[in-house]
Amino acid sequence: MKKYWKSIAILVVILLSLGTYYVNAAMSAEHYPEFVIRTLSGDANEIRPLVLDSSYAADTSTRSYTYTSLKINADGSTYNNSSFLDQLIGQPPTLIKSLRKEYPTFMRGKDPFADYFFENKEYLAYADVKYGTLSSRNYKFDIAVLNKKDEKTNSFKVEVPNEKGLENVSVEDVQMVDGVLYLITHNMMRDQEDLHDEKHIYIIDQGNQKISNHEAIIQVPEQQDNLRTDLQFIRTSPTKANDHLFILKTEKKMIEDTESTREEVVGQEVISYNIAMKETEKINVPDLKLDENQLSFADESTIYFMTLDGEELVVTPYSLMDDQVGQAYRIQLSGEDGMAYAYMTTVKAGKLYIVSAQMTPKIGADVIVADAHSGKTLFKGQIALKDASKEKGNFELYMNEMFVD
Amino acid sequence: MKNYLKLVNFEFNRVAKLFVVLLGITLVIQMVGVIVLSKEYLNMANEKIYEDMMTKIEFLENFGKMNFSQIVRSIWFFGPIGLCAAGVGFYIFLIWYRDWVGKNTFIYRLLMLPTTRLNIFYAKITNILILTFGLVAFQLIIMPIEMLVMKGMVPTEFRSDMGLNKIIAVMPELSIIIPRSLIELILYYGAGVLAVAILFTAILMERSFKWKGILVGLLYSAIAVVFMILPLLLQEFVFNGFFYPIELLGIEIVMGVMVLTASVWLSRFLLMKKITV
Amino acid sequence: MIEVKAVEKKFGRKKILKGVSFTANKGEITCLIGINGVGKTTILNAIMALTPINKGEILIDGKPLDKHSFEKITFIPDAITMLPQMTIAEAMEFMKDFYTCWNQERATELLGFFRLNQSDRISSLSKGNTAKVNLLLGLALDVDYVLMDEPFSGIDMFSREEIANVFTSHLIENRGVIITTHEVGDIEHLIDKVVLLDNGLVTKEFSAEEARENEGKSVIDVMREVYHR
Repeated sequence: MKKYWKSIAILVVILLSLGTYYVNAAMSAEHYPEFVIRTLSGDANEIRPLVLDSSYAADTSTRSYTYTSLKINADGSTYNNSSFLDQLIGQPPTLIKSLRKEYPTFMRGKDPFADYFFENKEYLAYADVKYGTLSSRNYKFDIAVLNKKDEKTNSFKVEVPNEKGLENVSVEDVQMVDGVLYLITHNMMRDQEDLHDEKHIYIIDQGNQKISNHEAIIQVPEQQDNLRTDLQFIRTSPTKANDHLFILKTEKKMIEDTESTREEVVGQEVISYNIAMKETEKINVPDLKLDENQLSFADESTIYFMTLDGEELVVTPYSLMDDQVGQAYRIQLSGEDGMAYAYMTTVKAGKLYIVSAQMTPKIGADVIVADAHSGKTLFKGQIALKDASKEKGNFELYMNEMFVD
Repeated sequence: MKNYLKLVNFEFNRVAKLFVVLLGITLVIQMVGVIVLSKEYLNMANEKIYEDMMTKIEFLENFGKMNFSQIVRSIWFFGPIGLCAAGVGFYIFLIWYRDWVGKNTFIYRLLMLPTTRLNIFYAKITNILILTFGLVAFQLIIMPIEMLVMKGMVPTEFRSDMGLNKIIAVMPELSIIIPRSLIELILYYGAGVLAVAILFTAILMERSFKWKGILVGLLYSAIAVVFMILPLLLQEFVFNGFFYPIELLGIEIVMGVMVLTASVWLSRFLLMKKITV
Repeated sequence: MIEVKAVEKKFGRKKILKGVSFTANKGEITCLIGINGVGKTTILNAIMALTPINKGEILIDGKPLDKHSFEKITFIPDAITMLPQMTIAEAMEFMKDFYTCWNQERATELLGFFRLNQSDRISSLSKGNTAKVNLLLGLALDVDYVLMDEPFSGIDMFSREEIANVFTSHLIENRGVIITTHEVGDIEHLIDKVVLLDNGLVTKEFSAEEARENEGKSVIDVMREVYHR
């Protein structure tokens, strides 16, 4: 046995040392606090369909800390623990995750962005732009449509019509109205020196796998003198069918102060575009002050214009059916120094969901569900540590996305 | 099996001295590093507080607390690790060539042992693995001791303590050597074993065919590498991300096992039919 | 019986063995004789599968060599095949560890016979003693066949005598021995069979005893005949 002692010794050392380390690592890795949504008032069932994609970082006072992603829902929190395999699988948004689960074959090779997808009862559609080489600017739409009934996928590539001065194309929305597929894109056009932003719509002939028609919805110069114009779609549920698109056009003036430049909103209008009819229409909403707060949301036949006023969220429903501005209502949010914290909002099935974007030991995070029309609060709660007494020290929790099933 | 274990033990005894020297160098240099860096920090603190009349709070605001990760980031810490890595890398070649060198050609004895010659291959690759894990294990043992030394030297209010796991987690270079989970450990060191097996095959080709063998060995290594990265290239350029990441990992593991099998099979063939003393 | 059949071996473009065939029987000492560089060592290496051959076949008791053969046949090269830092005791321990046919009694006997000290390190031994240890490690194996490559080259006279004595002892009896030499003088009286090699071929294979009895010629006489032709 004498000649074996060295080998035995080193093997024992290796096993003990690595064993201890990994047992320790496995035990300490479990130490993430659990978060819950605590009901303050209302019916807790209202938050059943809600999933918050969040990220958590502990002890942010030290310079080196990492974020761990987690999901928070009515049942509490689940960490996508930062294990190697989980990192490898990636953390797609809840929507993509559920699509992958249901249509694993179709979802192969699809970029995990909710905006690229459209879903209704019969179809699941996807569109993205693929580039050729950088120099040739050879853009192609990569399109795939799954017919849910016969489980057949029509997938094809079609060249983006190369108009003069087309600099860049990106897909912003995929829609289907009466079985016709529409791609709504943001295009950048170069006219000599000037850049133009443009919202463009492409109508896809699925049978022949080509673009049957396309047109610019609206075009604005990117910057002229001191004037800058932004075009932004008013958010809708990413995969939901909409026969109208709503574009928020904001004109900003750059004002040069002595030391800095600031922007001032000089004009703002909402443009409605009927996809099937290809008609553009201006919507007149008096006293629009949407400004920087891109909280507005369109759902079914109503646009909910939302803006923050101090610590309150002001919601103005606008009915498209009768072009009527509804009764505005205010929802109290928590904030600091008369300013509300950052919030996320979404509307689904006539309900307005409001969630704080951030939580720290000092800043509480609200979760509010309200009737979207009347503003009546159905649920009010706060994200909280399940066992606050056990958790000491600093942390940061960010709500990145919300998903309502 | 018994002969394999005997050979592993025998090979380890042959390298044990060199191994202990590497451990010793690591321990001494790192320990000196801990003492020097702690001392430097303390001297700086003394200078600022007693000569420049800074308050303790001001000093801490400007220069921060002493942290063990500062030591880990220094050459004092990484130098010895690099040395050990280079040592093991060098030994991958030496473990074969030492048997051919000199008048006492031990390879005669090894090849004439009444056991399958593949056991020599296995024993040598096992030894590379033992050396590597031995160094890692030793590093894991001495790090807490080094932390204690730092704690002993720097007063509490001047240092922020971090756990071993934390320090490894925030040092990407360290987490390659000491992966954070067992799965990663297996995957990383599995890849390492694969690389060593490919190198061994190339070495045996050189030993079998001399100059021509070097070319064949290089070619084999290149093919093995291409084979391993082929799924990644296809995924990126041909399949447009067809596979989910977990599937790609599975494919890579299968590829790795195939390349490993090919290397073992080739090495067996070379040892049995082509090797020359 | 060891059968070497039409073995060819090239080193690069140079053909060293051009179809060598001979047999070596159990219970006989077969001597491969040829000038330096004629390929004697290569033949022994080839028998032990220590170097590949380009053509031909080598059989040991009718079968090609495999891992079990190493318990039946052993090779004592012209240099010791143990690590120099080992002591003689450790070297014996190593052999005992791996070979079931290791005969410790015989090893002890040989130690005494050669007057070697177990605790000596191999690297500290004289040339003659190193050769004796080398011989010991091979002969203490209970094998049927022993191959020896130039066991007498570069060794002092006294050691040479001691080694030669081994050949007449029970240590060799009943075994098949193949021995190479370029200088037959010392062992002429020991050998049973002679295989003369020249230019990559076997020029003559004959029994030493028959030559002596029938033709009244010594091995050296036959060699002269062959090489002067």
